[in-house]
Amino acid sequence: MTNNAEPVIRVDHVSRWFGSVVAVSDVTFDIKPGITGLLGPNGAGKTTLLRMITGLADVSDGAVTVFGQPIRNNHALFGRIGVMSEHETVYGFMKGRDFVKIMGRLRGVSDLDAAVDRAIELVDLMAAADRPMGTYSRGMRQRMRLAATLVHDPEILILDEPLNGADPVQRAHFQDLLRRFAAEGRTIVLSSHILEEVEQVADTVLLIVNGKLAASGGFRAIRAALDKRPYHVRVVSDSPRELAAALVTLDSVDAVHIDPDGAIMVLSSNVRVLQIELPLRADAASIRLFRVEPMDDSLESVFGYLVEG
Amino acid sequence: MTDATAPSPRGTEELEGTVFDIGYQRYVGPREGRNRARWAVYKDGLRLALGLGRGARAKVIPWFFITLLGVIGLIMALIAGAVNTYIGPNAAEALDLPSHSDYYGIASIVFFVFAAVGAPEMLCPDRKDGVINLYLVRPLTGSDYVSARWLAFFTVMVSVAWLPQLILLAGLSLSNANPGDYLLENWLDIPRLLTAGLAMAAYTTSLAMFVASFTTRRAYASVFLVGLFVITAPFTTGLAAELAEDFENTAGQWVSMFNLSNIPVHVNDLIFDDVSLITSVAPAGEFSGWVLVGWYFLWTLVPAGLLWMRYRKLTP
Amino acid sequence: MSSVYLLTLRQLSGRWRLLVMSVLALMPVVLTESLVLFPSSVSVEEFELIVLNTMLAGSISPLVVLAIATVAFGNEVEDRTLANLTLAPIPRWQIVIPKLFATISVAMPFIAISALVTTHVAFNADATATLAVTVSIVAGLAMYASVFVFLGLATNQAIGVGLLYIVLWEGFFTTYVSGVRVFSIRAYSLALMHGLDERRFADTDNLGFGVAIGVSAVVFVGFVLLTIRRLRRMDVP
Repeated sequence: MTNNAEPVIRVDHVSRWFGSVVAVSDVTFDIKPGITGLLGPNGAGKTTLLRMITGLADVSDGAVTVFGQPIRNNHALFGRIGVMSEHETVYGFMKGRDFVKIMGRLRGVSDLDAAVDRAIELVDLMAAADRPMGTYSRGMRQRMRLAATLVHDPEILILDEPLNGADPVQRAHFQDLLRRFAAEGRTIVLSSHILEEVEQVADTVLLIVNGKLAASGGFRAIRAALDKRPYHVRVVSDSPRELAAALVTLDSVDAVHIDPDGAIMVLSSNVRVLQIELPLRADAASIRLFRVEPMDDSLESVFGYLVEG
Repeated sequence: MTDATAPSPRGTEELEGTVFDIGYQRYVGPREGRNRARWAVYKDGLRLALGLGRGARAKVIPWFFITLLGVIGLIMALIAGAVNTYIGPNAAEALDLPSHSDYYGIASIVFFVFAAVGAPEMLCPDRKDGVINLYLVRPLTGSDYVSARWLAFFTVMVSVAWLPQLILLAGLSLSNANPGDYLLENWLDIPRLLTAGLAMAAYTTSLAMFVASFTTRRAYASVFLVGLFVITAPFTTGLAAELAEDFENTAGQWVSMFNLSNIPVHVNDLIFDDVSLITSVAPAGEFSGWVLVGWYFLWTLVPAGLLWMRYRKLTP
Repeated sequence: MSSVYLLTLRQLSGRWRLLVMSVLALMPVVLTESLVLFPSSVSVEEFELIVLNTMLAGSISPLVVLAIATVAFGNEVEDRTLANLTLAPIPRWQIVIPKLFATISVAMPFIAISALVTTHVAFNADATATLAVTVSIVAGLAMYASVFVFLGLATNQAIGVGLLYIVLWEGFFTTYVSGVRVFSIRAYSLALMHGLDERRFADTDNLGFGVAIGVSAVVFVGFVLLTIRRLRRMDVP
């Protein structure tokens, strides 16, 4: 298996735009063996990013390499990757087993029948394997597609919202499966807009917001970093210089800048205390506050939404 | 992203649940009836046929056809104008150049292909994607739906039929030294071209939508329709010419009646009391006017009726 | 390759489609049969113009191929299943070629039998003429298939564009504007027919036999290459 220090997937300053809409903007990260969760609200650019990692879509700028080689149109690499897209459509006329079989044959699997049986057993769908897929429920379609993704025993698994339509039992089963694959040294990337799904299995989280990489690392580390990071708070008042002087002395304030337009920018690592102290100080110095606005609330709120939503 | 209105119960460790009033309200506005629903389906049909409210790609095909038909009218007008200018006033009429009575015949094939591509768009996607069920749970019956769609496409086809004729009319009267005199002299052309346009559109709409009601994939309906229009022409022409030689004429005439692209053009000829270019070689033209008109109504009303029957009993 | 081929065969065969194709393919046979049954004086030129040129080469063959070929990629793009194939570790041409051959395999029986029976009846079982017509119609079919498979991948309006092409370009312009024949599959197909049986068919067109073979091959191979290029460059849904 791959050396731990060597990234398996490397995304280097990748951007993708559709006309005037920027879907992914200058994103850089490495993915190593283990489970990586791609997390972000709907429409954040997760799918576009995954489609560029799998070579289905082209990059507008930057480069994606897998095992050190460019992925786009590099079909020799595709045999080492298993991809399950977000689309739940299947060939309705085809039996589940035949679908897995044809996917295996296209990927040059030797001893096909055994591989097909093994893959279908992994997703626990033997009983329905000989029915046309048009008759499957949504969860069954997803599982049969997962079986087709696994049939060639790929080193990299890329799964776009794989748990859509899964019930809690299947979800637990699926997470066990992923942990087992990760223990074997495979690289797994899965996307989700639900933090819980990712948190339970992923070693590393990549947080995508508005097409940009907003945070990466372990889930707890991201949380801690968010808490430690100083907040920018913009304050507009009638006498900025006096207010700045008054605020610098506070423990909750790390630094104060005065912008040319007269507003002051307060950097605070303890915004809760600042919330209380700022109006008190202003009142004591007879300074009128016109505006108090947090500048970088979005990441926090997105994370909060993912944690709590 | 975050739900600002709902207070989060987190952290309070409460065991019993709480339901917050987040302001859901019953709809209290006016409730419109069936006519409003019909009107909505009709309007949506117009937008579908012309690709309005959708991306540029959806507009390419319909507007290409409309432009093409307009260009045919324009070219006919320009030729007449040039002839009048270079040969002499009223030379176009004297030479019996193609005019209003010939236009529908000349443009018929483009007109039919437009219908073959457009009509399935009215019906097929709604059934393929199951949207028809959403329509039918409204105060709207199957026959409301299908008649609104029929009318929508009929409206488009009528407009598309009339537009080039009006361009031609404008061209012909303006190329005349005295446009007012031209119109006074040829005023009869106006009701004629309007009526013939209605006849063309009704026939085409009914037949095309009837075929479209059989399949959910637009492609097959379109190809089958073009096959009907394009292939019955040489087929019946060849066979009719053959039969006309050997038998008493009626056999060849009847075969020629099955030339689907000629059926409304014969009616056009009756309206203008003039034989157009494409029907001048069709033996069916020798039938009496009543037979031709009856035949036209048979081919318009029967498909329309069958189309209505197919949708009448539809329930969600 | 055989997997993609068999998969595409399954996608292309449906009852409705086969029925429509049978009806279309039957038309020239019925027409020719009745021409022969009723003693008449139809010249070879008239027969060629109406049955072989206008019906078989100019309408039935392209229409049948259009209905099938645009589906080969069109349905996969529409249903978003194309990624199943493009993510396989096989070169793109191994996806395009089997899909094209599956299209030809489904369309060919109808058109070839129609052409074969029509000419067999018309020319009193003359083997050379029958073979010349069948081969040239099938060559035309292969060219149409190559063009329409590309169209199905290049645009989601393939049917509309294809019908316009058949009716306006191959039907109208090729008939009335003789210069257009240099760029017409229908004309290439007829030139092949004339070349294969010079004895029976008067050489009325301005394309030679050799040129016809050359341009036919260029059209067929050219659109295959375009399709492969398109598949490499597009964002697969």
